[in-house]
Amino acid sequence: MKTSLNWLRQYTDIPADAQQFQRDMIMTGTAVEGVEALDGGMSGVVVGRVVRCVPHENSDHLHVCMVDAGQGEPLQIVCGAPNVREGILAPVALVGARLPGGHEIKQGKLRGVDSHGMLCSATELNVPQELYPSVGAEGLLIFQEEYAPGSDVRPILGIDDHIVDVEVLANRPDCLSVWGLAREAAAVFDAPFRLPALDYTQSSQRIEDMVSIRVDDPDLCPRYAGRVVTDVRIGPSPLWLRAYLHAAGMRSINNIVDITNFVMLETGHPMHAFDLDQVRGRQIIVRRAKPGETLTTLDEKQHTLTGSELMICDAQGPTGLAGIMGGLDSEITDNTHSILFECAAFDRTNTRMTARALGIRTEASGRFERGVNPLTVPQALDRACHLVEQLGAGQPATGMLDLYPNPAQPATVTASVQRIAQRSGVDIPGEEMLALLRRLHFTAEVKGDELTATAPIFRQDIEGEADLCEEVLRLAGYDRIPSTLMRGEATPGGDSENRLRQKKLARLLGGLGYDEIINYSFFGQKQLDSLSLPQDDPRLNALRIRNPLGEDTALMRTTLAPDMLRVLALNMSRGTQQAMLYEFGTVFDAASPTQEGLIAERPCLCLGSYGDKESFYTLRDTVLALLQREGVAWDITARAEPYLHPGRSAVITGKEGIIARVGEVHPDTLDAYDMDGKAYLAEIDLEQLYRHARPMDQVRDLPRMPAVSRDIALVLDKGQELLPVMNAIRRAGGALMEDVALFDVYRGAQAGEGKKSAAFALTFRAADRTLEEQEIAALMDKVQRSVKAQFGAEVRS
Amino acid sequence: MSMQEDIRRIREEAAQALADAGSLNDLAQWRVAVLGKKGSLTGLLRGMGQVDPALRPQVGQWINAAREELEGQLARREDALKREARAHQLMEETIDVTEPRPLPRVGTQHPNTMVLDQVLDCFIGLGFEVVEGPQVELDHYNFELLNIPKNHPARDAQDTFYVDDNVVLRTHTSPVQARVMLSRKPPIRIVCPGRVFRADEVDATHSPVFHQIEGLVIDRDITMGDLKGTLDAFAHRLYGADIQTRFRPSFFPFTEPSAEVDLTCFNCRGTGCRVCKGTGWIEVLGSGMVNPKVLEMCGIDPTVYSGFAFGIGLERITMLRYGIPDMRLLFEGDERFLRQFR
Repeated sequence: MKTSLNWLRQYTDIPADAQQFQRDMIMTGTAVEGVEALDGGMSGVVVGRVVRCVPHENSDHLHVCMVDAGQGEPLQIVCGAPNVREGILAPVALVGARLPGGHEIKQGKLRGVDSHGMLCSATELNVPQELYPSVGAEGLLIFQEEYAPGSDVRPILGIDDHIVDVEVLANRPDCLSVWGLAREAAAVFDAPFRLPALDYTQSSQRIEDMVSIRVDDPDLCPRYAGRVVTDVRIGPSPLWLRAYLHAAGMRSINNIVDITNFVMLETGHPMHAFDLDQVRGRQIIVRRAKPGETLTTLDEKQHTLTGSELMICDAQGPTGLAGIMGGLDSEITDNTHSILFECAAFDRTNTRMTARALGIRTEASGRFERGVNPLTVPQALDRACHLVEQLGAGQPATGMLDLYPNPAQPATVTASVQRIAQRSGVDIPGEEMLALLRRLHFTAEVKGDELTATAPIFRQDIEGEADLCEEVLRLAGYDRIPSTLMRGEATPGGDSENRLRQKKLARLLGGLGYDEIINYSFFGQKQLDSLSLPQDDPRLNALRIRNPLGEDTALMRTTLAPDMLRVLALNMSRGTQQAMLYEFGTVFDAASPTQEGLIAERPCLCLGSYGDKESFYTLRDTVLALLQREGVAWDITARAEPYLHPGRSAVITGKEGIIARVGEVHPDTLDAYDMDGKAYLAEIDLEQLYRHARPMDQVRDLPRMPAVSRDIALVLDKGQELLPVMNAIRRAGGALMEDVALFDVYRGAQAGEGKKSAAFALTFRAADRTLEEQEIAALMDKVQRSVKAQFGAEVRS
Repeated sequence: MSMQEDIRRIREEAAQALADAGSLNDLAQWRVAVLGKKGSLTGLLRGMGQVDPALRPQVGQWINAAREELEGQLARREDALKREARAHQLMEETIDVTEPRPLPRVGTQHPNTMVLDQVLDCFIGLGFEVVEGPQVELDHYNFELLNIPKNHPARDAQDTFYVDDNVVLRTHTSPVQARVMLSRKPPIRIVCPGRVFRADEVDATHSPVFHQIEGLVIDRDITMGDLKGTLDAFAHRLYGADIQTRFRPSFFPFTEPSAEVDLTCFNCRGTGCRVCKGTGWIEVLGSGMVNPKVLEMCGIDPTVYSGFAFGIGLERITMLRYGIPDMRLLFEGDERFLRQFR
């Protein structure tokens, strides 16, 4: 909320400049986000009287003026404005003055004539038309009233003020008003608060004779009140009123509408003025809409209503949406003779739902959504009538219609002085608490340890001891809170299992050269479709957000693959030669509900890479290295996902299922992501990985006996997978075989048609003795027979 | 006495030849020529027959002494030549140690992760346990137990992603705290990091997905001073002993009293700069004493126990720490951005 600091100063004495005001308000809980000087940093501009004005000898439009600016001798000033003439009063920027925006006035010479200052236009002083009607777009600002030469122009122009911008907290809707902020400031600076005049003379006409009001749905309208003004004279508002509206960013319309807006700004109560002659049957009915009923609002939009909206109606039908916007037909016009001021409290939730459903947001609806206090309704009506009288805008009638069937009581809280002090950590005596609460307009007393406090009627946020604690502490000053260490039972603390495991994997991945990325948790159908998954794939069953930002972010991720592909493509398109990336992310499995009605969330790890040094094998081996460091017993099988290369992809499995998928990205998928080079992708199900992980047990003794190495080269069918061959060798070698390693694969012509040659290095060792040559020979023979039998492998000599 | 003369001569000649030898090969030849079976010194032994028998022991001694001396010289010369050859070899093997080459690739951690680990380490050291929870959460835990009833503005469809009427994408990590309060007895000291969701359009300072770190302490006699002490410890540990905290009154439904907490700007150390917009302070977190209503709803007796809670926006402190101008960079995955972090 934006308001004028001078306006606040009308109701309380703030012993502080704008900056100090901002600081002290912030430190007591009012978020003053900004303070803006209306004069734009102007200085040295005073009222001047042009005592002589003659044409410049060398110019057809300049004048040479002698100006009495209260500086003793008149100043010679050259002026080019068309409306300069002898006798006028106008603003003069003296030599050394600063104009808004920082421009400094220097002594100068115009076409050979010295000029000691500048006569100013409204534009140069940044004065809005709204505030000073004599301002013309062309020429000097000429004062209509009489002012002493040399007077500061800022108070005259109404710009010796600051606009304060307050972000009002959700629990303090009372501060969405000038009175509220002034009350708060009065409490903060321990200054008196002066409620403005609310009195006026009531005419002999009685409201009951002119209008009746009925509230059919008090659940949505706890209070509805009205006052009537007759003999209305619609006209413009005076300058002071327009200036305040301007400071709050509102436009002046006419005196009556301006009064309703002014009172809203002052009191926080949105008000409405009905043209009483347009109220059919002279009757106001507040009720829920009938389904299908229609209303055309002020903005000339027609709405068809569902029945949940609260309406303001007259004898024949709806005339406005309660608390949101009036109807087109009952507005004030220049011919309006009698008006009904409406002031009410409407239900927050219902106002919000209706405003949202109809797509209307107004100053009034915003305030009702935040909560308008029913207890202060009569004050607002009185203030409006007072202003009507003050402005000569009409005659307030006698009486108020007030429908308030269940009056709220100001909250009374009983609390313990000792507990409040304990909670805050600050030793505040009961007497000080009383003084602080009274500054905030609470009625309070202390008996022993018992503090009883009744909130003022404008505060609706006080519910218990903790609220009193906050009120006392914030006014005492949060800087009084000491810095203490928690006492009590020590707790061991520690990281979560999940994070510890991820941190270990992250360390390994960092060492292997991979960079971590973080993506959003959602994607869209388009991204999911890019994987070409078969119809029954569980990953297609994604959880849908009811109100997504857009279609691309409407589904919770069921796989991390699309985001990884997108990031790989992004890096490729930006000319990065090599990318090695990983992401820890959660996938959301809509098909697996939990006991409490939520869905399974599974931790996953996705890897992606491209570049000259990258291949299927580099990424696969990274995955296998991670599994090896986790002690996972794995197997690998060629198997393609639809988005992976059918001949270059695999699943890595453990006893209990698939742990990882890895592969070269399918060329069709590369095309779909606009990638012009190969890329590699791996997805690891971390729950599966953890399930198969075996912690390290005791270390083995280092071998004391020598090892014996033998190489063997096998001729195999070209399509023969080598891992089964190696596993067969290992099995045949039995307990004495310490290691097998593939060290060469040859697919050239010498291997034979349709054949390849694979060379393995075998290491044998016994723990307790040196192996004999015959033992080795027997084992090698067994290995040869085994691979021949299983794979038709011939030994190549 | 000519024998003595011969020995002296051979010794001198041999010593000279040894000095002239330029290679190990020369040394081998010298050994044959001097000490070998047919060598010059060995030849003298063969001529012993002509020496007066009475002088033979004396002559033999002279020859052996000469032999020993020459062998010693040979060993020294051999050693010197070997060292020369090694030195030569090393010189030959000289490489350009300044030659620029591509470095082995070491991976980087996301800046969020680096800052998160620092923050959590700090709180773990203070006895906090890290607890995580579901991201798709029941409305009940995300809002109702935290004193955010159905008509609270924070629940507006504009802010919250809904799955259905009862299920939301959690808007903060506080539901994890509610779950812990319901399932454990005080003392509770937990810190809950994690992803949270708000229906904010993406721009330089907003993201529909971001991360929070929330802390909760529940015990007997916990005061707002304990909250300040804990956050002071956090500020000192993370940013340095000269960093102070400043509490400003604020409002959160979950806490009462509530405070926004500023830290001394860790860029300018409080003198005012671009990062803190000249104020010397940076708004870093929200905090407060847990609202007694929340304790009650979570089954903890507020007349016996009190507690504090705080919440830190991870992206915010990460961006401040590294001067990251746009939040989108954190979620984009550009290697040129990521590989700067160390």
